[in-house]
Amino acid sequence: MDEPLHTLSAAELGRRLAAGPLTSRALCEALIVRYHAVNKKVGAFTHLDEGDVLAQADASDVRRKAGQGRGPLEGVPVAIKDNIAVKGQPLTCSSKMLASLVSPYDAHVTERLRAAGAILYGRLNMDEFAMGSSTENSAIQKTFNPWDLACIPGGSSGGSAAALAAGLVPLALGSDTGGSIRQPASHCGVVGLKPTYGLISRFGLVAFASSLDQIGPMARCLEDCELLLGALASADARDMTCFSPSDRALTPAGDAKKLRIGIPKGFLGKGVGAEVATAVTAAIEFYRSQGCAISEVELPSADLAVPTYYVVATAEASSNLGRYDGVRYGHRSASAGTPVEMMTNSRSEGFGAEVKRRILLGTFVLSAGYADAYYMRALRARSKIRAEYLAALATVDVLLTPTVPTPAFKVGEKASDPLQLYLEDIFTIPANLAGLPAISVPCGKSGHLPVGFHLVGAPLSEAKLLAAGRLFEAAHGFAHQQAAL
Amino acid sequence: MAEGFDIDHLAKLARLNLTAAEKVLYSLQLNQILGHFQALAKADLPATIDLARVVSESALRSDEPGPVLGAETVTRLAPASRDGQISVPRVVDDEA
Repeated sequence: MDEPLHTLSAAELGRRLAAGPLTSRALCEALIVRYHAVNKKVGAFTHLDEGDVLAQADASDVRRKAGQGRGPLEGVPVAIKDNIAVKGQPLTCSSKMLASLVSPYDAHVTERLRAAGAILYGRLNMDEFAMGSSTENSAIQKTFNPWDLACIPGGSSGGSAAALAAGLVPLALGSDTGGSIRQPASHCGVVGLKPTYGLISRFGLVAFASSLDQIGPMARCLEDCELLLGALASADARDMTCFSPSDRALTPAGDAKKLRIGIPKGFLGKGVGAEVATAVTAAIEFYRSQGCAISEVELPSADLAVPTYYVVATAEASSNLGRYDGVRYGHRSASAGTPVEMMTNSRSEGFGAEVKRRILLGTFVLSAGYADAYYMRALRARSKIRAEYLAALATVDVLLTPTVPTPAFKVGEKASDPLQLYLEDIFTIPANLAGLPAISVPCGKSGHLPVGFHLVGAPLSEAKLLAAGRLFEAAHGFAHQQAAL
Repeated sequence: MAEGFDIDHLAKLARLNLTAAEKVLYSLQLNQILGHFQALAKADLPATIDLARVVSESALRSDEPGPVLGAETVTRLAPASRDGQISVPRVVDDEA
C-alpha cells in the first residue's frame, strides 16, 4: 500500500477509492504535485485547471460517501486530448487558430466520463489539428518522450502518451485518424486502442478527416484500457456514423490461447529496425508457445495504404478546415478590409505549416481535373485494401505487426521531411482506411526506447484484441511501467 | 499525375496567403509527396467503390429542432459582435 499514487493503475485506484480511506481529493492533490514536478520537463499538458479538478474530486467524494458512486471510474482522473470538447475548458487543438476558444459544450465521450464519475483532468498537447506523428506541430509547446527527453513522444496524441508514461495521469483520451493513438502509445511504452469506426461517438471531436477519425482509450495497462473503452462506447444519435444500440455488440473474446494470428507477408522486413523486428518476433514466438496458431497472410495492396490515406485524409481535412474563416469563432485577422481578406488573412495567420501543407494537398487532390486521378482512385484503392483485410481476417482472428517501423526519433530529426514522417504510419493506417479496431501493446525496448506490437481485428473484435494483449502483458510484466524522471 | 501544379491557384482556392519562400517550399514538398502517390496511378483497382457503411439506417431521425447554443453563447465565441449579432467587414458598398 506504500506505492506512490501516480504509479498505480486506474483500476487499482478505483478499487482503493471504493474501499477507502483514499479519497479522490487526496488522489488529485498527489497528481497535481506530480504535475508541478514533471510536466515542465515533458510538456504533456497544455492546461490544468486545478480548482476545477479539486471541485470535481470533492463532488465525487460526496457522492461516494452518500452511497451514490457511479462505478469503477468514480473519482479517477482522465486527461483529455485538446481536440475533444469539455464544457468550460480550452479547446485549442494546439493551434493559434483556436488559441482563445473555450468549449461551450461537452463531447459525447465527456458526458460519458462525467456519468461514470471520472475527473476530467486537464488538456493534453497534440500536433495541430491532429496532423502529425511527433507532436512537434503543436503551436503551443513541444512534448518530449519521458523515456528520453531528447526524443519525440509520437503523435498526434503525444501529450496523452507522454502523460501516461510520466505518471502524470492514469488514463487519457486520444484520437486516431491514421495511427495517432497507437503510434505514440508504442513510442511511450503504453497501451493505445483505436476502436472500430462507429463504436465511439465523434460528437465533440474537432473534425480532421471524418471518415477516418475515432476517439479511443490510452492507458498504462490492458485492464485500464478495457475499463476506459467500456465507459466511452455507447450509441449517440448526434454522430450519424455511430453504431445504433442494436448493432454494436462486441464479438466475445474467447480463449486468447486459441487465437489464430496472421503475420502479413513482408511486414517485418524492409524499413523495420533490427531491435523492433527482434521484439516483435519474440512476441510472435510467445503467442506460438501459448498455443496460438501462427500463419502468414497476404495483403498485396498494403503498399497503397500510405498514398491512399494521404489523399483521402487531406481531401477531407481541406473540406473540414474550411470552417475556419474568422467569422464565427477562432482567430480573426486584425488586417481585413473585405470578407475575403478576413478569411484569407485569418487562415494564413492561424494555421501552422503542416496544416497549410495538408490543406493545399487536399485542395489539389479535389480540384477540377485532378479529383478523378487522385481522390476517386484513392477511394477505389481504399475499397481494395478494406476487402483484402476483411478477407485475411476471415481466415485468422488478428493480424500482428510492429506498430511503428522504428523507435522514437530525436526531436527535429524529421521536421523538414514530411514524407518521412508520413511513412511513420505505414502499419497503422490500414486499420483506419478499413474501419477496423487495432491496438498497440508494449513488447520491449530498442535501447532505452519502448517498442510496441500492433494487433488488428475484424469489426467489433475489441475484446479479442484486449484479451490477446492481456495474455502477453501477464507474462511479460510491462504493465504500469513508467519512465524515471 | 502532378502535371499542371500551380501553387498560386491552389493557395487562392485554399484561401491562404503564401510568402515567396513558402511557395517554393510547398511546391517542392507537394511535388515530392505527389510523386509518392504515383503508386495509385499504376495500381490495378476495382471499378467500383465499396466502403464500410458509414451511416446506419437508424441515424435517420425526424427533422425536428433540437437544442442549440443560443445567441448569447454564439456571439460570445465570435471574434466580433454587435447588438447580439456577429459582425464582419462590410460585404456590399453603400453605393453599390
